[in-house]
Amino acid sequence: MEAVSGEFASGSLTAVVGANGAGKSTLLAAIAGVVPLAGGVVNRTARQRLAYLPQLAAIDREYPLTVSELITLGGWREFGAFRAPRTSLRERAARAAETVGLAGRLGRPIGEVSVGELQRALFARLILQDAAVILLDEPFAAVDAQTVSVLLDQLIRWHQEGRTVIAVLHDLDLVRARFPSTLVLARRCVAWDTTEVALPAMAA
Amino acid sequence: MSAHTLIVQPFETLAFMRAALVACLALALANGAVGTLLVLRRMSLDGDVLGHAVMPGAAIGFLYAGPSPSWLSLGGLASGLAVGALAGVLTSERARRDAGLVAFYLVALSLGVVLVAWRGSNVDVMRVLFGTVLAIDQRALLQIAAVSSVIVLVIAALYRPLAVGAFDPAFLRAVGTRAPYGVVFLVLVVLALVASFQAFGTLLAVGPMLLPAAAARCWGLGVAASMALATSFGLAASVAGLLVSYHGNLPSGPAIVLAAGLLFGISLAASSAFRRLAPVIGWDA
Repeated sequence: MEAVSGEFASGSLTAVVGANGAGKSTLLAAIAGVVPLAGGVVNRTARQRLAYLPQLAAIDREYPLTVSELITLGGWREFGAFRAPRTSLRERAARAAETVGLAGRLGRPIGEVSVGELQRALFARLILQDAAVILLDEPFAAVDAQTVSVLLDQLIRWHQEGRTVIAVLHDLDLVRARFPSTLVLARRCVAWDTTEVALPAMAA
Repeated sequence: MSAHTLIVQPFETLAFMRAALVACLALALANGAVGTLLVLRRMSLDGDVLGHAVMPGAAIGFLYAGPSPSWLSLGGLASGLAVGALAGVLTSERARRDAGLVAFYLVALSLGVVLVAWRGSNVDVMRVLFGTVLAIDQRALLQIAAVSSVIVLVIAALYRPLAVGAFDPAFLRAVGTRAPYGVVFLVLVVLALVASFQAFGTLLAVGPMLLPAAAARCWGLGVAASMALATSFGLAASVAGLLVSYHGNLPSGPAIVLAAGLLFGISLAASSAFRRLAPVIGWDA
């Protein structure tokens, strides 16, 4: 990837679009600190919490974990490596599950729920993470329409709460309808502006 | 023949059988935990490669001091860690990973055999390849017990990050965990393999680690329960393997690995049969 430089304004809602292999996922992972940068820097406002949703395919569904345990991981900062999650956290996990429509699924292993339900659980984990910056890599890929609408509502709620949300997306109609800003990538930064201005560069 | 003669007497009368049994039990405790994490991380091939990576260093230890357990282990530990680090650096590109790892394993194995054969006999070569679980003296036993204890304690202390890191390492990094748990885990694997080396040799050391864990994973349990089941399978395979080798006059390391392999086969067959039958008999699997 070549020099992409710019700034995601605090509280902005940005779609990252581009063809396959354009570097969208790499950009997100680099911002999240999950892959090392080949060069350059990522600056964040001091001590802002960041949450990162990888592509669904990166999640090992065979792993022996229940939906409830997966969601509770979102409170990692509270219990950390050495303590057990508190009851209050478990209650918050149950509420987050309710928000994304998973209330009846808490005890299920993640290998036995549908792809859409797994994505809902990962969103519930993000709710618990309570981060100022939320990075979503293809959050709506491979999930059913009803799930998309539930998850999109949550995404808009995060935006309304003043969090910075950055999402890699493929559905350009959705971007046009709901995302104020857009970053178009093609191994480099093609356009980065309001969606109205930037998105036409995608077609070109 | 009574059950007592068949099962208890060999251990009652023969000190080397007792030493072998205690060594296998200590190893099963460490291997149950390490093996389960290895299988969950889908790093079985890495484990196999590291098992052979122990070989050249152990061979150099052998050249220096003869068949002394301490020197064999020190050398094995050094080369296991070196190859682990090297493989990590050279095979970070996903596409070439398989071939790279297998290349390492072949070179390490051949180098080790050449080094041992250079100064030693064929018996020595067989000993480093397949181990000598029936020739474990008190010093070796203490060493195995100490290393296994350290492994179990470290995994108990770091259980949560190790388990979460096996599932979603990106999550750990994104929530700001900077400790290199992946490296810690690799060191644990090498330690367990070095501890297994004298009993099972470089070719089989990964067997008692991988097979009971793979068998336990068939049963759809949580991480901690899988570790406990893997340990039980390891214990059962050790006892069964030692007895079969004693009564049948067969090599004991391979007999133990075969017993573990049998448990894996049974687990695979039984769990898939259970999954097919559960809806029929009305159990919610």
